[in-house]
Order: sequence, then structure tokens, then C-alpha cells
Amino acid sequence: MSHERILVVEDNPKNLKLVRDVLTYAGFEVIEATSGEDGVRLAHEMVPDLILMDLQLPGIDGAEALRQIRTTEKQVPVVAVTAFAMNNDRTRAFDAGFDGYVEKPISVRALPQQVSDFLKLGGTS
Amino acid sequence: MAGGSTPRPGRESVSVEEHEQLRRDLDALRDQFEAADEVLSALGRSAADPEGVLTAIVESARRLCRSDAAHLYLLQDGVYELIMSSGLSDEAITFVAEHPMPLDRDTLIGRVGLDRRTQQIPDVLADPEYGYDLQQIAGYRTLMGAPMLVDDQVVGALNVWRTEVQPFDAREMAIVTAFAGQAAMAVHGVTLVQELEARSAELAKNVERLEALREVGEAVSSSLDVDHVLSTIAMHAVALSGTDGGSIMEYADRDRCFMVRSVYRTDATVVERLRSIRIELDETLVGRAARERRPIAVVDLDAVPLDPHLQVLHDDGWRSLAAVPMLREDQIVGCLVVRRKRTGDFTEETLDLLETFASQSALALLNARLFRELEQQSVELELASRHKSEFLASMSHELRTPLNAVLGFSEVLLEQMFGDINERQEEYLRDIHGSGQHLLELLNEILDLSKVEAGRMDLEYSSFDLHSLLELAASMLRERAALHGIDLGIETADDVGSVYSDELRLKQVLLNLMTNAVKFTGDGGSVKVRAVREGSEILITVTDTGIGVPEADRERIFESFQQGGRGSSREEGTGLGLTLSRRLVELLGGHMWLESEVGRGSTFGFSMPAADREAVGRPSDGASVSACGEVVVIEDDRPSLDLFSAYLSGAALEVTTARDGPSGLAAVRRTLPDAVLLDIRLPGIDGWAVLKELKAEPQTRDIPVIVVSIVDDRARGVAMGAAAYLVKPVGREELLTALTSVGAPVHTPAGSSEHGVES
Repeated sequence: MSHERILVVEDNPKNLKLVRDVLTYAGFEVIEATSGEDGVRLAHEMVPDLILMDLQLPGIDGAEALRQIRTTEKQVPVVAVTAFAMNNDRTRAFDAGFDGYVEKPISVRALPQQVSDFLKLGGTS
Repeated sequence: MAGGSTPRPGRESVSVEEHEQLRRDLDALRDQFEAADEVLSALGRSAADPEGVLTAIVESARRLCRSDAAHLYLLQDGVYELIMSSGLSDEAITFVAEHPMPLDRDTLIGRVGLDRRTQQIPDVLADPEYGYDLQQIAGYRTLMGAPMLVDDQVVGALNVWRTEVQPFDAREMAIVTAFAGQAAMAVHGVTLVQELEARSAELAKNVERLEALREVGEAVSSSLDVDHVLSTIAMHAVALSGTDGGSIMEYADRDRCFMVRSVYRTDATVVERLRSIRIELDETLVGRAARERRPIAVVDLDAVPLDPHLQVLHDDGWRSLAAVPMLREDQIVGCLVVRRKRTGDFTEETLDLLETFASQSALALLNARLFRELEQQSVELELASRHKSEFLASMSHELRTPLNAVLGFSEVLLEQMFGDINERQEEYLRDIHGSGQHLLELLNEILDLSKVEAGRMDLEYSSFDLHSLLELAASMLRERAALHGIDLGIETADDVGSVYSDELRLKQVLLNLMTNAVKFTGDGGSVKVRAVREGSEILITVTDTGIGVPEADRERIFESFQQGGRGSSREEGTGLGLTLSRRLVELLGGHMWLESEVGRGSTFGFSMPAADREAVGRPSDGASVSACGEVVVIEDDRPSLDLFSAYLSGAALEVTTARDGPSGLAAVRRTLPDAVLLDIRLPGIDGWAVLKELKAEPQTRDIPVIVVSIVDDRARGVAMGAAAYLVKPVGREELLTALTSVGAPVHTPAGSSEHGVES
């Protein structure tokens, strides 16, 4: 089992716990951030292999956090977790420069596989 | 005379006296003839010179009747008016003017008019009935008069008098009678001409008024620019009332005041002053006109107490005015004021006319108010609708977040990631998860429906293979259908092919209809999905062998749960699915219907416009020249597919998508696109196999294929005939540059497209 490091940025503690537990169970190492600012800081400090970023966050939002992360971390794939399964949100996520998106509510069964696919996107291993 | 007979000498022996008499008679006759001739010749010129005729008549009557004065009267409104006289002193003329004679027995002409015959009073002082004081001034004694008759109507009288008592003889009475007749004819001719002139003048005036009213009416009905309408009205009101200026004031019920809305020929400084004062309903003349619902005219502003409004006008030199209330259904709308720089009254007719203008002004003002209110309302509605949409969007997000945890954790437990659970626990967990799913669907549908209703549903059109979409939807339901032994089948007619629509929304509709069909079909039944082409439409039907829908419920089931009553036995469902599906189908340019037989099953069908076959499928001559360019994208990953579609649509390229190898090959063969984007990791046959097949077939061999993959195997791709090889993630610029380099007609907003890329 791989031990890729996943940074999860999510302000809702229960949803954060859910993602953390599912990914940990699947064998990933999970770093938690509950705000965009935390996410930016941890992205620099911990150098994760993948970042799962909620779009709606208190303080700076997901798109802004991504912009700040990209100033130093050019390679790491950053995937948006969108709350609304709507076309324009998806488009907005891509326009903001995210490498992909996961729709909420997340599928516990599918999430580990999705994360694996996104990790390949970064070309790392 | 003695003997009672006149001594008659023989013819030959004429006395001197008799001779004298004969000579006088002859002279009189000659005079009479000459006078008549004069009158007749004057009559000949009468139309041009009525006064000449009357002068001749009066002069001749006086002379021929050997009288001291002769005068001619015309009857006006039952009273005699002196028109022409001869031998009357100025004093007498003034007296007659000041003391008009009515048709009564006090005067001779009164009697002449009443009796309609020529008569005389031998001595007025001996007549007890005679009572006209002119006698004391003029001193006449014997009076004679003849009526002027036209069509048996008395129009005047001719009158002669002598200051001595000397009654007129029969010949003189005949002369006056004849002259009166001629005078009547002359006057009548004049009257006719005058009437004619007056009538044509009136006619011209009426035409002018109608013209003005038409113009005003047109302005009122055609223009929403109330100021333009009001100034048109003010202008015409002033012109037609013969005044020098005017204003239109609007009444505000809130503060019981009038406000100047429009003026005509009024100094800007006056307008400014009028706007600076309070023209109150209870304190002003215009207010009074409005309160009393009638026009009020002020003949002389110097002679009346001045309210603030009148004071301003008076200061500016206005001297008379008419204030006409503007009313609508008895409600005060405003006041129309016309004014003059001199004193003067307003005729009834003018006031009537002004009332017409006032009512037009009222209409214009009310129209404008109504329009303003409607505008305001629509702004408020727009705002409310936006608030509603924002509320729903945020509610949807807020509810989804906790739902995420409910669904996620129940799923974690069901997956038994952290230990075993017993059967009962699993059942309950499935209930929790199912209910959460249900709630989520409900949320999505409410949000979608509200977007449709608010006209904010954004559709994303693209070309895609309909059969692939039907297969995809069916694959999502197969498990559930199999659970109940339901046969779920799909039939797509050969000529259906690609459609141009919103794939996501179409899938939503299909899933809704197919889910319902499976839900309401008993174990071992069947659900058939068919797609056929019919003219310019594609018809898709979902037929089940379920319980059917009673006639009475067929319309109701399309209504959302808020509107219709609850059905008898409802399976779980949101109650919004069909409503939403129908609205989506309509949005996509089709319609939905239902055929059903209770106990036998139902067929839900809907139509959608077929894509233009000329644009989608070309004859296989290899010369594919579409106006905007076309690209087939074969990619199984939905996010990447969406992303590429967005990039390509933005570059004016038509996109046909396929999610697996076989349907991708079919799409390329059918559409013969300008380029193909090909993913390598595909379910079923992979990208390498697709590339190999495309390059093996003559009709597709020359279509450039760009491989887009996370697998970096450039050498193999080029070796197999790929025109370009891109490694994911691929940016927009990179993708479009590659497309340009392989010859696809890419329309980029700016920048060179000659940028080379290794191929």
C-alpha cells in the first residue's frame, strides 16, 4: 500500500473526519486543514502529493487558496470538492485552475480510487 | 261735402286746382318710380352692399311718405334693434339703443310685429296703449310701420313718423309695406350670406379643434413620454382657447398639493416660482375648481383676492385665466390652466373644449403613473426572484453539507471498514442511507425546478451519440432491474445517430423516466426504451408493464407536489421528478406525453429536435468540410470530457463525445470530423486499438488523431499514426495549439495559431 500524503482542506469538521477516516482506511496519509489559510500554509510546509480542496471556505475561498498555493507549489495536483453538482460550478472549478473535481456528497466507495487517479495526474509515484 | 258727391266738371274743363292735383300725383308717381328703381338697383348690389339697399329704402320711404323720420329695425332675440335711420337726432338714436323695444303693444313696431301687418297710429298722444318715451324726445305724433317678413317670420320693421297729426293715406301705406318687403329681402340675403360665412367659419374652427384633439389623442395613446404629451396638450389648449399661455398641474393626494408638470408660453422664472410654492387643494383657486369639479374663470385678476398661485401669475402680468380640473372617475388628477395677459371672460364653448383637454391630460398622467408602478413592480419582482434563487442556492449548499456526513458515515459503516455489523444494523443503516439519498434528490430537484422557473437554467449543448447515452442510463439501473427480474431493453433506430442537446439534462430526464418505470413494474415485467426518428424530431419512449396510471391522474402526476393532491399509493419519490422532467424536455425544445392502461402498463414519451443530419453525418466521400469544424472526443473521464468540450466549444468547434472505444469509433465513422481527441485508458477496447482501427480504414485514415493521455508513450503514438501526443494535464492553450497544428479550423480570440508543437 502506498503512503501518499493527502492534504484535505474542509471547514466542516464532520465531513473532514469522514474524508480523513476513509482515506486513512484506504492507506493514505492525511493532513487536515479547516481553512483556506491553513491549507496554504500546510501545502508549503508538508509538501503533500495531492490536495483535496473544498470550494466554499471561511476566509479565503478555495480558488484563492489554490492561487496562493500555486505561487510556490507548481506540480501538486489540487482537486476541488464542489458542494453543488451544477455545470457552472464545474466550469468555474476548471476556470480557477483546479486539476479536477469531486462532487459532494462524496462516495465513500469511490473516493479512494478517485484519489489514486488524481495522484497519477501529477505523474508522481 | 254737400250733396255727398264731388262736383265733376267735364273732361275738357279742368280746373286749376284739379290740374295742380294731377301734377302732384304725377310727380309723386315719378318719385315713387325713381325711388323703386333706386332701391331695385341697390338690391342688385345687395350682396356686396346691403347697407346701400337699406339706406336707399329708409331715405326713399321718408321722402315718398312725406314723413319727418324713417327708421328700420331688425328683430334680435325678440327685441327690435335700430339698424338704419333717417331724420333721427343723436339723442333719439341713443335713447332707442338704450331702450330696446320688445314685441308688445307699447310701441307701434311692437304691434306691427305682433299683428304682422302694416298699421298706423294717427296720434300717439291720443292712444292710451302707446307707452314709449321716445315721443317726449322726438315729438312725433303720427306713426306708421310695416313688418319685414321672411318666410312668414317677422325679422324687423320699417317705421315712419310725422311730427304733426296727419294720418298716412293708403298709397303711403302701400309704399312703406313694399319697402319693408324689399328691406326684408335685402336683410335676408345678407343674413344668408352671414350665416353661410359664420357656418363655414364654425366649420373651420371645428376642423381645427378636431385636428387638435386628434393630435392630443394620438400623443396620449402613442407616447409614454408623459411630458411630451402634456406639452402637446398645453399648446393646443392655449391655441384653441385664444389665450396667451397655460400650464398643466399634477395633483398629489399625499400632500394635497398641485405641482406644475408642463407649461406653454410661460417664463422659466415663473415656472420656477410656481414650483417653489405650495399650491394647496384647500387654499387656491385651482384647488377650488378641482374640489367643485367644474371650470372656474377669472375675468380680471385685479378684481379677486390672490392666492399664492394667482399671486405669482399676477406678478408676471397675467390678467385673466380659466382653471379646469383634470378628473378621472371623479378622482382629482390635476388642473389645466390657460391665461391671458389681458382681462376677459371665457365662453361656455371654450370651457367645454378645455374640459376635453383636461380629461385627456388626466388620462395621460394616469397612464404614466400606471406605467411607473408597473416598472417599479417588475423591479421588485426581479429582486424577489433573485433573492429566491440566491436563497435556494445557499440553502442547497447548507443542507448538502450535513447530508454529506450522513451519507458518508452510513456508507463507511455499510462498507464495514471498521468492523462487522449485524443484519438488523445493516438494514437500519440502509434506511438511513436511502433516506439521505432521497433527501439529496429532493434538494437537487427543488433547486433545478426553481432554476427552470426563474429562467436561470443554463443549458450546455453539444453533439453526442444518443444510443451511448441510453446505454449509460440503462447501465445505472440494470442492477436494480435485475433484482426484480425486470428485463430492461434498449432499441435505437439506425437513423437516430447523434443529437445536439444538453447531455446531462437529457440523462436526468431519461433516468427519471426509467427509474419510475422500474419502480412501478412488478417482478418479472419488462421496461423498453426506444428511440426513433420522426421527421425533424427524435421520439424517445419508455414503456413498462407496470400498474398503469388511471385516466384521472394522467395530468396530475406531472404537477409538483405542491399543486396536485396526493396519489393513493405512492412509492418513495420526490414528487418533483416528472414535473422537472417535463420542464426540462420543454426547455430542450420538445414535449412529453403519457399513454397508459391501468393494469397493463404505461408509456412515457418525449420528443426532442433531431440534429441537422447534413451537419452531423456526411456522405462518406472523405471530404469533410463543415463550416465551424468538428472534433470527436473519446474520453471516459467525465471531468476531462467536460473540460475538453468547454475548450473546444470556446474555439467554435462542434464537439461529439464518446465515453468508450466502440461508440467513439462509431462517432468518427458517422461524422468524419476534422480531428479526434483520443484517451488511451478506455473501458472495453483501449485507445491504442481505436487508433489502429481508425488508421486502418480508408475513410477515417486521414483524420488527424491527437492522443491525450496520462500515459506518456509518445513514441508509440507517433509510430501508430497519431498526429500529436499530449500528456495530461493538458491546458487550453496546449490543446488548441495542437489542434491548429494538425489543421483543425480553430478560432482563437487572439494570438498566433502557427505555434508549432512536436508531433
